Amino acid sequence: MSAPGAARLHGLMAEFRSARSLIRACERTHEAGYRKTDAYTPYPIEEVFEALHLHRSKVPLLVLIGGILGCLGGFALCYWTSVIEYPMNIGGRPHNSWPSFIPVTFETTILVASFFAVVGMLALNGLPMPYHPVFNVKRFALASRDRYFLVIEAEDSRFDAEETRRFLASLEPTEVFDVEP
Amino acid sequence: MAKEPRPSASDRLGKPPVLAPGHTTSSVTDQISAVILRGTPRWWYFAFGFSFLLVLLLLQSLTKLFLEGTGIWGLNIPVGWGFAIINFVWWIGIGHAGTLISAILLLLRQEWRTSINRFAEAMTLFAVACAGLYPLIHVGRPWLAYWLLPYPNTMGMWPQFRSPLIWDVFAVSTYATVSLMFWYIGLIPDLATMRDRVENRWSKMVYGALAMGWRGSAHHWHNYETAYLLLAGLATPLVVSVHSVVSFDFAVGQTPGWHATIFPPYFVAGAIFAGFAMVLTLAIPLRAIFNLQDFITLRHIQNMGKVMLATGLIVAYGYMIEIFMAFYSGNQYEEFMILNRITGPYRNFWWALILCNILAPQMIWIKKVRVTPALMWIVAMFVNVGMWLERFVIVVTSLHRDFLPSSWGMYAGTKWDWATFIGTIGLFLSLLFLFVRFLPMISIFEMRTIVPKSDSEEASA
Amino acid sequence: MSLEPQRFAAPADVARLGRNALVVGAIGAAASVAGYLSDPAQFFRSYLVSWLLWLGIAAGCLAIAMLHHLSRGAWGLMIRRVLEAGSSTLPLLAILFLPIALGLTEIYPWARPDEVAHDEMLQYKTWWLTPGAFYLRAAIYLAIWSGLSFALNRLSQRQDETGDPGLFRKMQTIAAPGILIYALTATFASVDWLMSVDAHWYSSLFGVYFIGGQGLAALSFVVIMALYLAKREPMKGILGANHFHDYGKLMLAFVSLWAYFALSQFLIIWSGNLKEEVLWYKERTEHGWNIIALGLIFLHFVLPFLLLLSRDLKRRGRPLLWIALLLLVMRWVDLYWQAGPAFSPHGLTFHWLDLATLVAIGGLWFAAFSRRLARRPLLPVNDPFMEETLDHE
Repeated sequence: MSAPGAARLHGLMAEFRSARSLIRACERTHEAGYRKTDAYTPYPIEEVFEALHLHRSKVPLLVLIGGILGCLGGFALCYWTSVIEYPMNIGGRPHNSWPSFIPVTFETTILVASFFAVVGMLALNGLPMPYHPVFNVKRFALASRDRYFLVIEAEDSRFDAEETRRFLASLEPTEVFDVEP
Repeated sequence: MAKEPRPSASDRLGKPPVLAPGHTTSSVTDQISAVILRGTPRWWYFAFGFSFLLVLLLLQSLTKLFLEGTGIWGLNIPVGWGFAIINFVWWIGIGHAGTLISAILLLLRQEWRTSINRFAEAMTLFAVACAGLYPLIHVGRPWLAYWLLPYPNTMGMWPQFRSPLIWDVFAVSTYATVSLMFWYIGLIPDLATMRDRVENRWSKMVYGALAMGWRGSAHHWHNYETAYLLLAGLATPLVVSVHSVVSFDFAVGQTPGWHATIFPPYFVAGAIFAGFAMVLTLAIPLRAIFNLQDFITLRHIQNMGKVMLATGLIVAYGYMIEIFMAFYSGNQYEEFMILNRITGPYRNFWWALILCNILAPQMIWIKKVRVTPALMWIVAMFVNVGMWLERFVIVVTSLHRDFLPSSWGMYAGTKWDWATFIGTIGLFLSLLFLFVRFLPMISIFEMRTIVPKSDSEEASA
Repeated sequence: MSLEPQRFAAPADVARLGRNALVVGAIGAAASVAGYLSDPAQFFRSYLVSWLLWLGIAAGCLAIAMLHHLSRGAWGLMIRRVLEAGSSTLPLLAILFLPIALGLTEIYPWARPDEVAHDEMLQYKTWWLTPGAFYLRAAIYLAIWSGLSFALNRLSQRQDETGDPGLFRKMQTIAAPGILIYALTATFASVDWLMSVDAHWYSSLFGVYFIGGQGLAALSFVVIMALYLAKREPMKGILGANHFHDYGKLMLAFVSLWAYFALSQFLIIWSGNLKEEVLWYKERTEHGWNIIALGLIFLHFVLPFLLLLSRDLKRRGRPLLWIALLLLVMRWVDLYWQAGPAFSPHGLTFHWLDLATLVAIGGLWFAAFSRRLARRPLLPVNDPFMEETLDHE
């Protein structure tokens, strides 16, 4: 499928000076049919997500599930300990003092939902990840400063070391790099 | 995004900018990370050293407490709740501004929050750490404090979920956990920035490990932004609930002066009031020391002042409605409690509280005061003291003369009470100095988002 | 984008809607008069609740307008004219207060001399609760609110005519103390008009709860009007999904706040269990009133809260319209639940006058509102922030 030499590449990386040129490049890359692509930016840019046609994030769903679990779990904890396991008369209040259980239920809802948000986000992003090929490019350190990078991975079915390099060069980057695996 | 720069209405109307003009994505990155990269200034050792001495004082007080018990404090009957709860509420209130700035102002799309949120969140964490200490040491046998948690134990007992004190355990521990996660998540991209900047191999490894391999991928940012917004959405009701639950500690009982339905919103407003005062107290000197006037501009100081004024007025409303309801209710105990507060043996505390919390902040109506950092700092100090006095008045004056005149008494903190309190201030400052030395105190990646885009691209081209 | 005021003239439908409302209001008024002749006590009690609902919308519009002047958010500019028209009806509502003033003895126990004579607590409370002081305070509250809305509306009118960009500062100068004065007067008004139907009960949160209710009622009404206008020229295409998303979030915040206040008050009083406080809740959670209480929990909080969590529902017009209508109805239910048990503690009752008075005041009120709305362009085109707001869309 791809040229023999390309097997040892993770992919090709193009560096851009501005967010605007990166967004244009992302759009054209998607139009050209490349799908295994990724853009690297110093801050989140909504237009890049759109240009790469990213799917809706799954984090909200996870948070909803976490919230429901936390809510049910918190109330169940109060109910089970106060009514079933260790019923006790406190100031003549009913065993099932549901108004008193609301604060704890509320806190557990928030707690579990937040856990799901954080752990879910990290898991969906595959973090922590100690090693990644893009770090082999020296200039990539600027992705956390003021440069914008676009990578087409070798795994992409349309990837061809020479042709993709020409394609990336046509997007007017400042430079194109090989990304060693 | 791709739009011509043109003065916004607020610029045309002469408001100071949120970010000084001329900055680019590279200049904000370099200038904020330089605070860490340029090494330790000499004053830092003195400042940290002094704070650490106060931490030693805290450790000494705690050792004394563990050896001898709560008898070393000024607690008595009828005032069984003294400095521990006053300081607990004071500290946890201070923490609230951090969450408010980072979560609520984010949801309200207030751009000016960007340069103060990181630092305010750190302040939240340290304040919550100081606050959390008090209930633990106040239980008498602190080594058994874990009995507060619901877990299957050999005694076959469970916590009592009708008690607001157990609600507090859940509220404060949830608050600490969520604040920590929120703060850490916000830090990840900046930790990656530091990883890419530092030269030293060991520093690189530490920042690298903490950054978890963050590389700024669009796929990652996409999930990241969603998660961050959702966390903000969760933290907003949480922060309201925490101080409400703290107020329930008082309000669900029947003690006059504590049992008031206005307590939850009025405590929350007081917490935000105190928190903004503390943010100003810290931010005004820090921006001068680290030359961060470009990022923490007069606009920030003005806006924080306005929030302080607004929440201070809500607190004033709380005092007013408490007094009115005491008389409207026709309940003689409520009436006595209010009169005792205003004219009784602790009247000086009450009047000082009115001066600090209600009169002093009225200076903020004057524009000249709002744009003069030194004056704002003085007002903020008044509020810091005032909010401590408020908790003192609520706790002590409600207890010291209760239903039975034969059991009336007086309360004063002992030297160990004060040593513990000053020690927690030392703990707070020590953590803060460590934070400004080793972590970016302004969120770099969020600052990059508010740099005017066309400028930055011209400049780096 | 050109910003000529003529482009934003209100659609003719608004005036027609106002005329229809006037007819409906007149029918309601006739029915109410008939009801008054047959059962005056019932008339006054129904009238109080109905009047409080419409007052809440108008006063809430004033409060939200002042908040908008202070915060200068884009959300407010789009609905400013609705808020201004809503608040400009306050003088009308002041006139409509007269029946309450006339029916004091039918509504408030402290206004009945024979009852006061046998009740020590009511005698004590005469330092606050007497008819004379009540009239005087009501006049003050209503005059202040009318005055604030008049002053702000006049400045807004001048902004339309002269385009002076400095006028918004003057509005802020009025709005900042205005919001304080509103909060104070509305608190005391809540004690006078609603809390004192049960003259023994007291709760220091009540004023905040009342103000939150006014804000929610006004916001729901404004959202309904915004959705109505967004379907017609000239606002078609200007008021869009992004705005409704914001209004949906605001509604979510207000619904949550309402629940927070309601829960705080209930939890503290329920836990304290003191007879002078908790009896208020006891009356409101038995003999059929408990059904209303459950209805409040589920329809005033749980259902709208869950629906408003969804991003899509906030951005689509129709679901948001239904949620706003539900909330407006529940505002009435909430007021009815607070006042009703004081009049009939032995069982939940409804009377046709509850509906008749609601329609009578509402019809007249809406007629006045739509006249005001039709008179001026639908956008404050000369506001210094307007251009920017339209650009962002």
